[in-house]
Amino acid sequence: MSQHEPSRSFFYRNQFLIYRLFSLSGLIPVGAFLVVHLLTNASVLGGAGAFQSRVDMIHSLGPLLVPIEWAFIFLPMLFHATVGFVIIAGGLPNVGSYPYVGNIRYTLQRATGMIAFVFIIWHIMHLHWLGTPFGGGKFDPHHATSSAATALQPLGISLLYAIGVLSAVFHFANGLWTLGITWGLWTSPAAMRRASYLSIGVGVLLGAAGLGALGGMRSTNVEQARAIETRMEDVKHMLDGQGGAGNAPAAGTALELPQLKLTPPLP
Amino acid sequence: MSRSHASAGTSGADGHASPTAGTTVHVRVLRQDAPAQESYWERHDVPYEPNMNVISVLQRIAAAARAKDGRRVAPVAWDCNCLEEVCGSCTMLVNGRTRMACTALVDKLLEENPEEIELKPMSKFPVVRDLVVDRGRVFRALERVQAWVPVDGSYDHGPGPRISPEQQEDAYPLSTCMSCGCCLEACPQFTKIEVHQRSGESVEQLAQRRDEAYDDGFVGAHAISQAVLFNNHPTGKMIADERMTALTAPGGIQMCGNAQNCVAVCPKQIPLTRSIARAGRAATVWAIKKLFDR
Amino acid sequence: MAQPRVLVIGGGLAGLSATMRLAELGVEVDLMSLVPVKRSHSVCAQGGINSVNSLTRQQGDTEWKHLDDTVYGGDFLQHQPPVKEMTDWGPRIIDLMDRLGVPFNRTPEGFRDQRRFGGTLYKRTAFAGATTGQQLLYALDEQVRRFEVEGKVKKWEFWDFLQPVLDSSGRCRGAVCQDLVTMQFRAFPADAVILATGGCGLVYGRSTMSMVCTGSAVSRAYQSGAAYGNGEFIQVHPTAIPGADKLRLMSESARGEGGRVWVPRAPHDPRDPREIPEAERYYFLEDRYPKYGNLVPRDIATREIFDICTTDGLSVEKDRLCVYLDLTHIPRETLDRKLGGILEIYEKFQGVDPRSVPMKIFPAVHYSMGGLWVDYQRSASGGMEEGAPKNQQTSLPGLYAIGECDYQYHGANRLGANSLLSCIFSGLFCAPGVMAASGSLRTLAAEESKGLFDAALRRQEERHEALLARRGGNENPYTIHNELGDLMTRVATVVRRNEQLASAYDDVCQLEERWQRCSLSDTGNWTNQNVVFTKSVGDMFPLAKLILKGALLRDECRGAHYKPSAAMPGIAATEPSAQRLEAEEWCDRFEANTRRWLKSTIARHGADGHPQITYEDIDTSLIPPRPRLYGLVGGDVIEEVWKERQRKATAAQAESPRATDSALPVGAAS
Repeated sequence: MSQHEPSRSFFYRNQFLIYRLFSLSGLIPVGAFLVVHLLTNASVLGGAGAFQSRVDMIHSLGPLLVPIEWAFIFLPMLFHATVGFVIIAGGLPNVGSYPYVGNIRYTLQRATGMIAFVFIIWHIMHLHWLGTPFGGGKFDPHHATSSAATALQPLGISLLYAIGVLSAVFHFANGLWTLGITWGLWTSPAAMRRASYLSIGVGVLLGAAGLGALGGMRSTNVEQARAIETRMEDVKHMLDGQGGAGNAPAAGTALELPQLKLTPPLP
Repeated sequence: MSRSHASAGTSGADGHASPTAGTTVHVRVLRQDAPAQESYWERHDVPYEPNMNVISVLQRIAAAARAKDGRRVAPVAWDCNCLEEVCGSCTMLVNGRTRMACTALVDKLLEENPEEIELKPMSKFPVVRDLVVDRGRVFRALERVQAWVPVDGSYDHGPGPRISPEQQEDAYPLSTCMSCGCCLEACPQFTKIEVHQRSGESVEQLAQRRDEAYDDGFVGAHAISQAVLFNNHPTGKMIADERMTALTAPGGIQMCGNAQNCVAVCPKQIPLTRSIARAGRAATVWAIKKLFDR
Repeated sequence: MAQPRVLVIGGGLAGLSATMRLAELGVEVDLMSLVPVKRSHSVCAQGGINSVNSLTRQQGDTEWKHLDDTVYGGDFLQHQPPVKEMTDWGPRIIDLMDRLGVPFNRTPEGFRDQRRFGGTLYKRTAFAGATTGQQLLYALDEQVRRFEVEGKVKKWEFWDFLQPVLDSSGRCRGAVCQDLVTMQFRAFPADAVILATGGCGLVYGRSTMSMVCTGSAVSRAYQSGAAYGNGEFIQVHPTAIPGADKLRLMSESARGEGGRVWVPRAPHDPRDPREIPEAERYYFLEDRYPKYGNLVPRDIATREIFDICTTDGLSVEKDRLCVYLDLTHIPRETLDRKLGGILEIYEKFQGVDPRSVPMKIFPAVHYSMGGLWVDYQRSASGGMEEGAPKNQQTSLPGLYAIGECDYQYHGANRLGANSLLSCIFSGLFCAPGVMAASGSLRTLAAEESKGLFDAALRRQEERHEALLARRGGNENPYTIHNELGDLMTRVATVVRRNEQLASAYDDVCQLEERWQRCSLSDTGNWTNQNVVFTKSVGDMFPLAKLILKGALLRDECRGAHYKPSAAMPGIAATEPSAQRLEAEEWCDRFEANTRRWLKSTIARHGADGHPQITYEDIDTSLIPPRPRLYGLVGGDVIEEVWKERQRKATAAQAESPRATDSALPVGAAS
């Protein structure tokens, strides 16, 4: 019946599969990454060393980090965003006529998705080494806390981060709820209500983690943090029996780092 | 309650503002003479009567056939039939919200907006004239999901399958769907599809092209719910696979954006989001099964 | 030879079931309706659908008893073989609807639940929540949609039937219809045309019927020569909510639960009813019937409510007839528990809480027992012969009528929950006969000369153009319709008086003349609802006239037709021998009345526009007529006398050498 035009676009023909993958990608890996990322960042509340050790753990992946970043973070995110924009373009928000909670959430989901997308691009440019050619890439994995704290010091930047992080968190938490409906995890209105509490809980926790990390970074004493980081790096190099220290290799040099002990000494 | 100078209303006996006899109800109607023509607003004044609904307002407008400015105008065209909210005919946008005109009571509307009552045709369906829209797509969607029990025929084969009271209570609300289109009108994911006749095109060709266009669009909450209804019926589920194929085809269940307006505006309070979630679950299971059974 | 093609007009229960069966038999069907078929008036039926079932059967119920209840309820005014066939088919029909997926309410064990309705002792009524009609209609709509997808049915929704096309022999060869969107006319050649267009409630202005129930299609068939039967029999429901746009059914249980009916003693007292002191309220039912109070039988309640407003002029409102039905003295919790659902309906449409403010109610026209006269072929067993071409055929060969628009099943009054059955039955049952008729035709309609259809088309186009072109008249069709409705409601519903009927007939003729001077406010040719409505109002007059004339001529009380002048009161005497004498007289009078009036009223449209009324004998061969005595004073004495007479008659017949073949068959078939 629906085969009247066989030469339909790939996207059209596989709409169901693509939309389901889109939904899934919001949870795994994109959502999962968001959780890990925000919790990692929040570890700064435990001190510059705590944060640094987690960053070191991630960077211990060495040469695998870049392909992993692309395969499990950037590409899924791009996929999620692309399909997301197609979905947004196909909808017609009407929260003015129908100001119901569900509809407000629907509209916010789209708004926060777009904000999060713009934010993430900017965020990558700002801190990730990919942004180095554009004057960004301000995050130094060897001096995680101090570099981040420095980059986030301007109040405006921090505000943008707060908006971006909260948008991403809302988008994820609310998306968790809609995902449960899409896949049929919660079906009755009562179950949806309970799931709603769950997603609110997740949202509040993640939001707290995100804002906590931001606050933590901003309240960091950069000098002290730097001292800790340098000491940690020295210890690391010492343990690995390699010389040279402290000359903060921007990004790619992470590749040169050998495998690291799982329990680095804490200050 | 603050009240403006609108002539509709003095304070009623029961405390809240309600107009009394002798006053006038101001009505603003978005009219359109035919498809593909410009729409325009027209104002009408209707003498207030107790217990009026929007249908009786439209009946008075038709009988008077005069706009507020005294101009003779053609009566406003609108759809209605049972006036008991079971036939699904009289859906329109009353004060901006989709609802049945027969249960839209003037007193309540004036509480919402004492100035006037605003009537517009549904925005997601092609306007035929004034408040009359072509809701063929609503019924086309029922064909898409094969919303029926595939019986052998009308010859006697004894009673139907045994059904528990719980199953009946589950199915009954879904079966009260009157295809009014409210859920589609309020759905931000359901967008208008209008196909105009090309020159030299026959009515049949147009109908086919229109159906094809409809089939590309979102099937809608009502049809998903009907698919769930029949997939849960002991005989109906014998073609459950075909319904799942339809529900996961382009324009299927994946188009739902979970705004949940459908359930909020449904005049019959049908648990549409429950149906959608159940269809989602069935689609998950079905897709996985298909993947591994292939 | 081309495939037989049948045009079905109307997509309610009857039209859809006929369409389904015809399509199944391989007939190509054009299904036409003023509205999408899923929006037909059948959706409004709330109560349920009757049939004998396995449970009642074990309590002694049979199809025969269902037949007996139906003809007794209809005061014996219907031919009995079709009714017998219908009640025989009842169980099969419920089973079929069950298989089609109708969500009938269930017992804990998963069987269909049943409840008891008026007019019977058995729990015969299957139901699906409070929307049985809607559920049945949807099940049939779904099956027809299935055939539509398969290409066996073509739907023409938003189309109006204008006239049957008759050939020189008077046989129906198709119809001329109009697209209500484009306003284009089109001829539909067909081997048979089936009208399934429902009742004519709009002749009464506002009724419990839907807005499409104008009776126009039936009127157009009647004006083309089809005979109309029992037009004066119109069922009135005692309690309805009078709305500005229509009258909505209010269950009688409100009265059953202790509701008190009253009117202010001062006509149209403008005060809030709660502020009217007891002394200034007139509880007329309690006052006039101290023994029963508000629980007087349904027909008495209807008449008294009607009379207090029309004759005594004590209606609550000035321009709308209504009385108070007061529940405010009953605790809210009790009301919510016992009447929750129906009070919500009232609240939904009136915007007033009936738990704290008295409801306004009034009787409302609810069902037309009369309709197009249709034929049937009696079978050997006393039922209807399946597959006979003349079943459900009107007096115009090739034109059929089924459902509420035929006159066949309900006699002088309809039993609750029988209408859905009669609609589905007549639809299913007529199909094989219609097909047989189409097959036996020498030339099929599609090959008929074009001239026939062109002439009919031209005639309709001219009527249409003439209406659009009418200028200068200052009559408003909506006003005329209101006046017609008010008039008909006043004189031809609950209580009928000859002088009123006679003068109303003249008034209707005058209204019809005024209608000729209607000018249209919309002269366009796109979705012109104005011209469609004006036409349908014009077609109401022939029906109004046949209703009035039928009622005027029928000088008796039967079923829904009540004339105070012809009422047969109960027994006044108290002394047994005098009682006995009166009972004998009563029975004499009853027998005389039966001889004179137990006949179908047959109306034919005269060339002068007036109905020609004749009477037709009724086949009461299965169940001999007997008096209906419910609530009659001295009813027991009359019954005793009546039974004696019956015994004597039976004995005489047994002795008589020429016993006829119309003797009572033993029990019901199947």
